[in-house]
Parts: sequence; C-alpha cells; structure tokens
Amino acid sequence: MNKWWAVAVLAASAMAQAQDARGIVEESQRRNRSKSQRYEGTLEVINAKSKVTTKQWEYLRLGDYGDSKAMLRFTEPPEVKGVALLIHNHPDRASDQWMWRPQIGRDQRVALQDRSARFFGTDFSFEDLEERDVNQFDYKLAGEETIDGAACWKLESRPKQSKTSQYTHSFVWIRKDNYVFAQIEGFTKAGLSRRINYREIQQVQGHWTARRLEVLDAKTNSRTVLKLEKLQFDAPIGEGEFTLQALRRS
Amino acid sequence: MILLRLISYQYVRKHVLRTLLTLTGIVLGVAVFVGMHTANQSVLFAFEKTIDHIAGAAQLQVTAGETGFEEAALERVQAVAGVRVAAPVIEAVAHTNLAGQGNLLVLGVDMLGDRSLRDYDLEGSEEGAIDDPLVFLAQPDSLIVTKPFAERNGLATNSHVMLNTAEGPKQFTVRGVMRAGGLTSAFGGNLAVMDIYAAQKMFGRGRMFDRIDIALNEGVSVAEGSDRLRRALGPGFQVDTPTSRGAQFEAVASVYKVVANITSVCALFIGMFLIYNTFAIAVTQRRAEIGILRALGATEGQVRRLFLAESAAAGLIASAVGVLAGMLLARGMAGYIGAFMGEVYGIAERAQQVSTDPRLVFAALAIGVTTSVLAAAIPARNAARIDPVKALQKGRHQSLGEGESRRRRRLAVGAVAISVICALGKTGPLLYLGYFVTIIAAVLIAPAVGVWLARMLRPALSWLAPVEGALAADSLIQAPRRTSGTIAALMLSVALVTGMGGIARASYTSILTWVDTSLNPDMFVCATEKLTDRSYRFPREVGDQLRRVPGVAAVHEVRVGRIPFRGRPIMLTAIDVAAFHSRAGMPPIEGDPEGMYRDAAAGKGLLVADNLAIIEHLRVGDVVELPTPGGLLRLPVAGVVTDYSDQQGDFLIDLAVYRKYWNDDTVNVFRVYVAPGAKGPDVERAIQAQVGSRQRLFVLTNREVRAYISNVTDQWFGLTYVQIAVAVLVSVLGIINSLTVSITDRKRELGVLQAVGAVRGQIRRTVWIESLTIALIGVLPGLALGALQLYYWLEIARRDISGYRVDYMFPFGIVAALVPVMLAAALAAAIGPAEAAVRGSLVEALEYE
Repeated sequence: MNKWWAVAVLAASAMAQAQDARGIVEESQRRNRSKSQRYEGTLEVINAKSKVTTKQWEYLRLGDYGDSKAMLRFTEPPEVKGVALLIHNHPDRASDQWMWRPQIGRDQRVALQDRSARFFGTDFSFEDLEERDVNQFDYKLAGEETIDGAACWKLESRPKQSKTSQYTHSFVWIRKDNYVFAQIEGFTKAGLSRRINYREIQQVQGHWTARRLEVLDAKTNSRTVLKLEKLQFDAPIGEGEFTLQALRRS
Repeated sequence: MILLRLISYQYVRKHVLRTLLTLTGIVLGVAVFVGMHTANQSVLFAFEKTIDHIAGAAQLQVTAGETGFEEAALERVQAVAGVRVAAPVIEAVAHTNLAGQGNLLVLGVDMLGDRSLRDYDLEGSEEGAIDDPLVFLAQPDSLIVTKPFAERNGLATNSHVMLNTAEGPKQFTVRGVMRAGGLTSAFGGNLAVMDIYAAQKMFGRGRMFDRIDIALNEGVSVAEGSDRLRRALGPGFQVDTPTSRGAQFEAVASVYKVVANITSVCALFIGMFLIYNTFAIAVTQRRAEIGILRALGATEGQVRRLFLAESAAAGLIASAVGVLAGMLLARGMAGYIGAFMGEVYGIAERAQQVSTDPRLVFAALAIGVTTSVLAAAIPARNAARIDPVKALQKGRHQSLGEGESRRRRRLAVGAVAISVICALGKTGPLLYLGYFVTIIAAVLIAPAVGVWLARMLRPALSWLAPVEGALAADSLIQAPRRTSGTIAALMLSVALVTGMGGIARASYTSILTWVDTSLNPDMFVCATEKLTDRSYRFPREVGDQLRRVPGVAAVHEVRVGRIPFRGRPIMLTAIDVAAFHSRAGMPPIEGDPEGMYRDAAAGKGLLVADNLAIIEHLRVGDVVELPTPGGLLRLPVAGVVTDYSDQQGDFLIDLAVYRKYWNDDTVNVFRVYVAPGAKGPDVERAIQAQVGSRQRLFVLTNREVRAYISNVTDQWFGLTYVQIAVAVLVSVLGIINSLTVSITDRKRELGVLQAVGAVRGQIRRTVWIESLTIALIGVLPGLALGALQLYYWLEIARRDISGYRVDYMFPFGIVAALVPVMLAAALAAAIGPAEAAVRGSLVEALEYE
C-alpha cells in the first residue's frame, strides 16, 4: 500500500511540475503577444575560420504564436536582394513555408523534410524560423540557472507526436524577471545541435524583446548574429503581405 | 614432361616462325575476347560508378522513363509514410566551351534537402566553403565543380565557366569546389552541381524533374518503401534501386557483348584450324620421331598426351599473350564504346580506368587452351596411331585415308541435308542448329573440295604457266592434309566477311529507304548538335516562332524519350501524326496503311516499329500498356511500320496524347519543311536570325541528317570491320603457315628442280601460284558458305537480336573487293616462303631425308 502511495505522490508532483513548466511558457507567450511585428535585421554569419558574411533582411509578422504569418525578405547584399521566405504558422501542426528566388523566378515550397536544412547559409534552420505554440510541446521544469546574469527557469521541451521536428528535445531558459527567452538549446539524436542566445533584452512598445540573437551551430562551430533594428510592434500590416503573390514581389 | 622438354621443345626451336604464326590465331582470338569484354565492362563499371556516386545515400529512385515528370509528384512522394528524404534531380550532359574538356555531367539538385543524400565534401571543412550559400541559391549561374575539373581548367571559387544552355552559351560562376573522391569520381570528374530550378531553365525542362532520389526512415525496408511508393504513385512511375539503372545500361550495352563474342569465336574458330593444320603437319613431319618413341616403348596414350600437352602449352602461352594484347586493345575500345553509346543512345560515359576482371582472364586462358587442345585432338589421335615400323621406313608417308575421306563426305552430305531442312524450318532452335551444322558441313567437306578444286584448276594453271602451274596444283592435290586446315580457315574467314558485309549492305539499303520516306523534312531544328542527345529541350513556343519565319511551310514538333516497356528502355516518339502523314510516312509492314495513321492521329492507337513488334511479339490489335506520369496509357497497335529510329525499336503516338498523359509540352526536334520557291539556306539563315538569337538551336539540313545517320551506321558497323580485319589477318597467317610448311616439306623436290635446271624465278612462281591457288580454293567455297551464313544471320538478328527485317542482299560489291584483297594477301604471304625456297642450300636440300 505504501508503495502505491509513493507512486501517486511522485506522479502528482510530476504533473504539478509539468503544469508549472507549461504555465511559465504560457505566461511568456501571453506577455509577448502582439498583433504584428516588423524589424530590419542585420545578419552576420561567422564561420569556424572567422570569415564573416553580412546580410540584411526585412521581417514582417502578423498574428502570433501558432496563428501567425511571417514574411522575411533579404535586402542586402544586392546579389541576394529579393530572396524571401513566407511562413504560415499553424497552432496544431508544422508551418507551411515557401521561398522565393527572384533571379530564378520560382517560388518553392519548403518540404517538411527540409526544415532541418540551414536557412540560406545562416545557422538558423528553417524550423527555427517558425513560431511555436505552447500546445505543440510537452514541458518539464529542469531546474533554475543563471544566463547572462539573469535568473532563469530551465525547461525541457519535447515535441508532441503531431509535431515533426528535427529536435528530439530542447532546453529553454526563460528569465524570471520578464518571462523573456534567454537561451534555447536544441538537441538531435547526435547531441547538441544548435544554441540560440537572446541578448540585449529591451522593452519596445511595452514588449520585452531581445535585440540581438546569437545562434551557434554546434556541429560546424559556425555562429550567426542577428541584430534587430527599427523594431516595431502592432504596426498596421495587411493580410495581403503574406500571400504567394506578395512573396513573388521582389 | 621429359618428353615435352626433349622432343617437343626441340621441334618448336627448329620451327619458331611457324609456331609463332600458328599461335597468332589464338592470340588474336583471346585478344579480341579480352579486349572487347574489358572495354565493355570498363564502360559499364564507369557508368555504375557514376550512378553509385551520384545516388549517394539514396536507397530508391522514382522515375518515369526518360521523359521525366511534373514537379507535383515530389509532394506525393514526400507524403508517403517512411520517406525520410525525397530529393528531386535533373541529370543532363552539358557541353562546355573549354578546350579538351568536352561534356560536363550537370546534376541539378535542390540544395535544401539534397545534402541529406549526397556528400558534396566541399573544399574547406564546412558548408561555408560554398563562398556564400545564399548567393549560391539566389543566383541561377551558380555552379559547384569537382576539384579534378577545377584543377584541369584552372578554376577556383568565383571563376567563370561558359556552358551551353537552352538559351545559348552562358557564363556560370564557380561558387564551390568539391574535394576529390566520392561524388567527384562520377563521370570521370567532369561533374558539376547546380540548383535544380536553374537546371530546369538551363536545359529547357519546363517544370519537370528527371527523378526523385529517396532515403527511407530507419526501420523501413527498401522493399517496403518501394511498395508504398508504387501504391502512392501508380503504374506510371518506376520505383527502383539506383543499381537497377546500371542494369538498364547493361541491357543497352549487351549488344556489344554479342559482337565481342561473335568476333572472338570467329577468330578462335579460324585459329583452331590453323592449329589443327600445324599439328597435322607436325605429326607427318615427326613420324620418324614418333616411330622411334613407339619402338622404344612409348604407348599410344603417351604419344597422344605428348601432342595434347604440346597444344595445351602452346594454347596457354598464346592465351597469355592474347590477354596482354587484349588489355592494350581495351584502352582504345573503351573510348570507342563510350563515344558510340553517347552517340547512338545518348548515354554518355567515359571510362577512366580500364581494369580486367580476373574471372575474364581465367575464362580467356581456359578458352585459348581448350581451343588449342581441341584443335590438336585429331592430329594427336593420328600420331598415337602411327605404326612404328612404317614410320621408320624412309619415304613412306601416311596420308589421309580414302576411308576417312569417305566418312567425312558422308557426314558432310548429312550435315548439308540437315542444314537445308533447318533453313526451311525457320523456327528459333532450328535456325541456330542449321547455322552450326552448315559450318560443320563446310569444314568437313573442305579437304575434298580443296582437292576437287585443285584438280579443276590444274589445266588452267598448266595453261597459264606450264611448269610452275602444274607443280603448284600437284603439290595441293598430293598433300591435301597440308593445306586443308588453311583452306578451311580461309573459307570461314571469307564466309564471315561475306556474311558481315551482306548484313551491312542490306542494313544500309533498308535504312536509306526509310530515310527517304520518313526523314524527308528539309531541315531539322534541334536543341543539341546531335539528334540523339536529349539533355536540352525547347519550350513549345519555339514552334510558333519557327512557323512565323518567312519561307517555312510547315513545322512538326517531335518529342522523344525512352520509357520502360516490359523491363526494357524503349524509345517513345510523339508527333502530330496527321501532319506527319501528310508529308511523310513509314513503310507499313502490318495494318491498314491509311487507317493506322488515322487511328494514331485520333489517339485511338499507336504505331510500332517492326523490330520492336518482332522482339515483343506485338501484332495489330494488341493492346499496349505504356506507363505515364498521368497513369497507365492503354492503346491498341494500329500498325506495324519500318522504323530505324532506335535500335531497340520505338512506339509512335500522337503528340496530343503524349501531352495529355505526360503533361509535358517541351520539344526535342522540329521537323521543318521549306515552302515551294523558298531557298533552304535563306530559310536557315532566317531561322538563326529570328529564333536562334533568343534560343540555343542547331539547324541540320536533310543532307546533314543523312550524313549523320550514315556516320552512326558506319560506327555501328565499325565493329564488324574489326571482325573482318581479324578474319583476313588470321587467314593470311594461315597461308604463310601453310606455305612455310609446304616449302619445308618439299625441300627435296625443290632442290631436285633446281638441280635439273629450274631457275630461281620458276621456283618463286611455283610458290606464288600455289599460294594464289590456296587462296582461290578457300575463297570460292567461302563465298558459298558466306551466302548461306548471311541468310542465317539475317534471320537470327531479326528474330533474337535487333528485330530488324532486312532484305537478303548478297554483297557483290564487298565480294568484288574482297577477292582481289585475299589474292593480294596470298601473294604477299608467299613472298617470304618463296624467297626461303630459292635461297636454301641445294646440297642440304638434296640431302634431305
């Protein structure tokens, strides 16, 4: 009888932990909700030999967390200008993605199997550009740690069966003070695949947000730094900006 | 072994030249066997290696024949459970403008998913070695080349290279260099990778893929995966492992194996008679030696084994030399076969390495030794049966017994009867039996025919040169065994040449008739320089542009590509059948000559090339099932026609049917008819100016196409010329051999002639006349045998090899050229022996025996 009591107590504790972890992510998402987002990003890809290539893109998003659409369009350098990615995020499944290359004049659907590929030579994968809804993952509190001097909850997230992901599991660090993501580590069967650090966290139009993202590809030891400039939230952006026709406008 | 060293070795030492000449037949036979098979295997190996390297980690490949399929199929494949990676591919051969580099195999891939399948192993340790992956994807001129190709052409990242595209020559930028090894070994290193959508544009492929390479999830077997894919895609798609593509190439290349085998067998067969001849002579010459051996207690078995061991040793040495010569021959042949495969079948491959399979070497040695031993079997038996008492009596020569001659003649008559019955029977096994029995009959009858012809020719020879002619004829009449092998070899050689020449002539004539009726447009506008190269295609609109060119009366669009049919890659030709029939046609074999075109034009039937109909047993009314990306296309055979478009045969369907089922409106060739009154060269210039400025195109005039077809036919028959050369060479060696023996044998006779006042000129002429008579005696029955062989070969080729219905035509032209060639060769062969005869010591000659 005692044994069964012990199992029940452990199960209840695990459930409470899971609910806590999920609650943390839900709260993080609630605090960061916005109708839209716009920014100009500067990307620096620093490979293992410290060679740096720089690009710029313009990012638009309408809606948020699992019910959003995003358009990402490269603006610099001239030879890549117009290359774009359209993302339609869904609450219950993986996003739909299309890319556009004006010089080739073709839009191309990015297959689910290709989401683990590097996004146009950066250290992001196509999957990393999706906005994830809390319901697509199971969360577990894995401890508390300090990242960049800020106290954080460390959560373990695992994709639910319905979600196809390159990552078997991830660790997410969420700052206790403002519920902003501080770090994510994505793991594949081979081990640590990618680490994303969220830095220069500032409040913009009432939204705490990172102005600098650093991505490390653990396999190639290549790094990508994304700096967010001209960041705007809740700006009026029409649905028409997120169609295949809009994608083809280079 | 002791006897071999003490007796055989000594004999060989005395007759080095003759031994060498004898063995040349085996050397040539083995060399051709090893050379052609090695070359064939090397090209096949290179092709398989290319497939293997290009396939990377792909476990399965989805194709729809050579025609490709719509992009939409990719999503259907990706949606199949168990598919981990599905990467579309376009594979085409591009022409570079780099001196000496020729073609470049361009692999169009989707770089997003493709790296899960193929390791590009780029220079530098990481992906960053593509100078900028985003630029690579963004710019359609991006190219990754192999390190060997880059080194050969002094290329580095950001270098430029010119490639011919569907829109004309364009500059491409090298944005990555692949390390040597792995993928870079494909196509001899002449490999480039580019974005698949850029490749579509470059090769005019529209929105089509050639194939999809697939890797499966862990735990999903290849059989399970292919089963799921087949169910998801339907019968129009083929799902196979990458290695099965090699099997298709093998099927196309198999014709070379047949030719290689025929040539080798012919050379060895002819060589066998030379060996037989030499051993028969050796037995006669060494009868005293054999008599002594027998008198000293050697058994019949020991004597037989001695000669068989001699032949085996000779065969082994000759085969070893043949293997080495074959390896050298293979180097030249591999290039030839690779070029020919590219020319005729559009399958380009270059064999970088020529390596011989140890099994092939072993087989060649075994064949050489067996041939030699078989050839020596009868002389060895005769040697064993030599009566020691008679053998030791001077001047008593054993000769072919009357009983043996009668037996041979009876067997020959029986064989001829069987041959005639088989020829009349015309069924498969009987044809092959008839063919072999005909050869056996000819071989059996050769000595008797030789003597009979020598007797027939004697009066004519005596009339021409009273002393020399009579002596030459008598020499042949008195010692038929000395020359029977050579005559048989000559006869077989001439028969081979006649048969091959006949096939060539008949094929040329039939092809020219077909060209006249089917390929009658004034010009052909092609996307590539070669009609068989299908890497580049035109968009459909080019047809409208051509129709607007002044002086153009009609333009017919043609789409061609191989599709699988009953496991073989068969050519499919799609054309506007009604328009085609209004201006051209193909000689009908079966079916209503008008109705067949009507039905085909209405999409109610298809036309089948005669050779394909024969091989696949297709008759008018039979329903043919063609796999298409749009599902299974079932069409009845509306007619069987003569069509030499492809060696494997082809189907002809209406273009509208093709476009509906394949959803592909690209075009390979436009058949252009010039309006009455317009001048061809003017129209050609106008086409180049108005259409060629926007689109890469090649205008081939009707004359150029005819020349091209003639050239391809020449290339095809080029191998038969190798056979002819081998046959003639072996025959000449046989004549030299026979005459050398004849001079040695008649040393005393020739010495006596000189002693009684014959001048050297007379001796020379005697030898020359004897040589010419041998040649004539070999040539005449050889022509008769060749005429018969031609019949069998045409029937066998029609039924089992190509299916081509070619009319029987005796090659009088080739024979007219062959007879003087053989006589001249015989005369040339006689020069050495004749000189040996006149320069020998008179005293020694009279002391002989």
